[in-house]
Amino acid sequence: MVQTMDISFALNGKEYKLSVPANAVLLDIIRDKMHLTGTKEGCGRGECGACTILFNGRSVNACLILAPQADGAEIVTVEGADVERKLLSIQKAFVEEGAIQCGFCTPGMIMSSLYLLNKNPNPSISEIREGISGNLCRCTGYVKIIKAVERASKDIGK
Amino acid sequence: MIMEDFKYIGKSVPRIDAADKASGKIKYMSDLNFPGMLFGKILRAKYPHALIKKIDTSQAKALPGVVAVVTWEDVPGLNGFGIVTPDQPVLCKDKVRYIGDAVAAIAAETKELAEKALTLIDVEYEPLPVVDDPIKAIQSDSPKVHDDGNIHLHTKVVRGDVRKAFEEADLVIEHIYCTGEQEHAFLEIETGIARIEEDDILTIYAGSQYPQRDQMQLSRCLALNPCKIRVVSYPVGGAFGGKDELTIQPILGLLVLKTKRPVKMVMTREESVISYWKRHPMIMKYKTGVKKDGTLVANKVIIYADTGAYASLGGPVVNLAIEHACGPYKLSNVDIEGYCIYTNNGVSGAFRGFGVPETAFAIETQMDIIAEKLGINPIELRKKNALQKGDIAPVGNKLTTSVGTVAVLDGISKTKLWKEREKYLVKNTKKPWIKRGFGFALTYQGTGLGVGLPDYGGAILRFCENGGFEVGVGLVDYGQGIGTSYAQIAAEMMKCPIDKIKVVLGDTALTADSGPTSASRGLYLGGKATIIAAEKMMTVLKEKTSEMLKVSVDNLDAENGYICMKNQPEKKISYEEIAAQFMKETDHLPETEGYFLMPLADMKVENAFGLPHHIFAFSAHLALVEVNTLTGQTKVLKGAEVIDAGDVINRQGLEAQSEGGFVMGMGYGLFENMIIEKGIFKTTNFSTYIIPSAEDIPSDIETVTVTDPEETGPYRAKGVAETVMCATAPAITNAIYNAVGLRIFKLPATSELVYTLLEKKEEKCNESTN
Ligand code: FES
Ligand code: FES
Repeated sequence: MVQTMDISFALNGKEYKLSVPANAVLLDIIRDKMHLTGTKEGCGRGECGACTILFNGRSVNACLILAPQADGAEIVTVEGADVERKLLSIQKAFVEEGAIQCGFCTPGMIMSSLYLLNKNPNPSISEIREGISGNLCRCTGYVKIIKAVERASKDIGK
Repeated sequence: MIMEDFKYIGKSVPRIDAADKASGKIKYMSDLNFPGMLFGKILRAKYPHALIKKIDTSQAKALPGVVAVVTWEDVPGLNGFGIVTPDQPVLCKDKVRYIGDAVAAIAAETKELAEKALTLIDVEYEPLPVVDDPIKAIQSDSPKVHDDGNIHLHTKVVRGDVRKAFEEADLVIEHIYCTGEQEHAFLEIETGIARIEEDDILTIYAGSQYPQRDQMQLSRCLALNPCKIRVVSYPVGGAFGGKDELTIQPILGLLVLKTKRPVKMVMTREESVISYWKRHPMIMKYKTGVKKDGTLVANKVIIYADTGAYASLGGPVVNLAIEHACGPYKLSNVDIEGYCIYTNNGVSGAFRGFGVPETAFAIETQMDIIAEKLGINPIELRKKNALQKGDIAPVGNKLTTSVGTVAVLDGISKTKLWKEREKYLVKNTKKPWIKRGFGFALTYQGTGLGVGLPDYGGAILRFCENGGFEVGVGLVDYGQGIGTSYAQIAAEMMKCPIDKIKVVLGDTALTADSGPTSASRGLYLGGKATIIAAEKMMTVLKEKTSEMLKVSVDNLDAENGYICMKNQPEKKISYEEIAAQFMKETDHLPETEGYFLMPLADMKVENAFGLPHHIFAFSAHLALVEVNTLTGQTKVLKGAEVIDAGDVINRQGLEAQSEGGFVMGMGYGLFENMIIEKGIFKTTNFSTYIIPSAEDIPSDIETVTVTDPEETGPYRAKGVAETVMCATAPAITNAIYNAVGLRIFKLPATSELVYTLLEKKEEKCNESTN
């Protein structure tokens, strides 16, 4: 039997206490236990970025984090606009620039963009490309996503 | 018709589902969970080719928490599926033909238990020799993948006198082209959930491209009346052809019927890669004859396509490759043949372009070679041979719809990339090992399923209490943007604000059968059907208003959500009031349906199922590349597409297709290839199968549209979802030639390939100077 562990964390600004199997993956906890399905799974091994979240302020792949590691952590997902107001501007820019097609990469892209803009409010195009290079998108060819991040950075700066 | 007259058509309307996608609110099928659900897992084959001697599930069944274990014995109906030929078992009985073949499946209380139970199923195999080379596979002494041989389909189309034409040609160019096996790599893996819902309806929630056909195929496999099956397949996290055929649905359905509980099935990326469809790798022998003045006179082509273990859409892919093998050029002496070949190399099926990116690579390289050898400007060479309206296409059909070949070629000069290419091509004096080159290629793609297949669009329009409308089309928006286009069309037709339109897609219970979401047909057919349904709805609204206002229908007009009197526009009734009137009188709101049959060519190509097509979209692709001669690496610096989409419905959506198509085509051209050795996949994840990332893309991808309106199309539009990726690879390889003088005959043009070819070239140079 797998041992369970008691953990507590802040998710999108709210505190949660939870008992989780020691080998549970944080992505599954967020999606299946916390019912926040905005965070997606595209590979389960850190290669696609669909599961990107903010973890103590850093962008990480939730599929590579074990749930016990989240004990005491502050987590923000794409649903976390209440704690990360910038999310709204980024989401709006993605919609308006046409940066969304099937939309499956979108939450991860938006979270990587948020991390980027948090640490670098005025990124250059090449910094944007680098910032989202861990997030794969098969639909858009990235052009409009890059534009959306640029636009969001301007909107937030206003 | 002037586009400016429209409120929504031709405008850049943001996707109607974008906000819900951006906020993470929208529920994909993989996001659904139902109370009491079980977890399903599939046992895949242990060998790419083997006889099954025995399947023992007793230990797995005995594991506490396992609710069902199913094998072929549990399939109540036809143990086979496949869009054209149902030759793929739901669960294999006596033989496995590829490493992803399904042998058994489990439903258990947890994912972990289901996985554990898989290891407890004991299957005894007798391995067979692996058929992994399509050319050897068609020899008579090859081991057989299927009892009746390894040739699934052989098509030959002959016109004119090829032999004589080659004799009369001034130049004959002969080459063999090979293309790689491309993986769809949609971000959402095949995943689904199913359960029995009200009225005993088996409801399957799984991303797909044609719910009504899934329903039909499922009904056959599960021996269940189709009206007892509902398929919901929207939204989908990408498909590109890879979800056209059934994937997990039959097994999911089987497990639900067996357990009477909801079952969820989640694939891993690796399982998805080994189990489901890919682009056919092709070997294409080309021999093209041309006159000194550049007139093409003959083309002889043989295509060998590796379709893997089962048919699915392999036959139609080969036939479409044949139809497009000559490019959009006039050729009256052709001999084109194609083999669709079974092997144990996974399974190939539908993929954006459907045989055309492969042949476009070959013919557009041939054209580039010819232009150079004859000293003719490559655009002029293509223009000289360009198919135009009224011409006979290579397979014999007369082109009577819009043909944008020349418009697209002329459009090349409108791109910034063309105008400034000289500037970009300056030598890099600091890094002389970096060479730049420019290239382009032309392509076209048939819309719809072709002759001999039922090809129709269907739409339901429901009047809603708020005075808005719900459009129900069976097609699926997996990223292309058709849902938004239907909303634009419905709003334009019904003269109401677009936010009053709700679009429902891909649900057998709520939408009209509109055929498969494939073949660049979604916008065209779904759009036309929506127009017809809307026309009927407008009549219904006007008739009701005429009763209410006691005026003749002829005196009524529609305007911004109102039906009003033509000469007294202030006398009007809002759609909401009309809806209320209906409710008052009948407690019911009207709904209308529209159906549209695809126009067909005036002839049929004998012995070539589905050929010809009748409506085509055209595009030219441009690329500026940089080749590092020390590493062989090619980087695309700039790209452009010139597209004939007829009149454009949604500018933003079209650009999105163009950019996405260009980048997917770039991946195909430069690095994407599924490596399979002896039937075993070697590149099953994103660190071994590389798709383009944001750092790989060009700094610019321009989209220029030229309009050759298609009079039969919805607001004169044509679909372009495929053509936008078809000629990117040859544009890049032609640019590589321009940069370093290397002809690429094999895709992808990886660093290794280019590096090796550069080495060889150098050796040759040295030999000839010694
Ligand atoms: S699902 Fe986590 S990186 Fe792909
Ligand atoms: S929008 Fe489909 S993967 Fe990015």
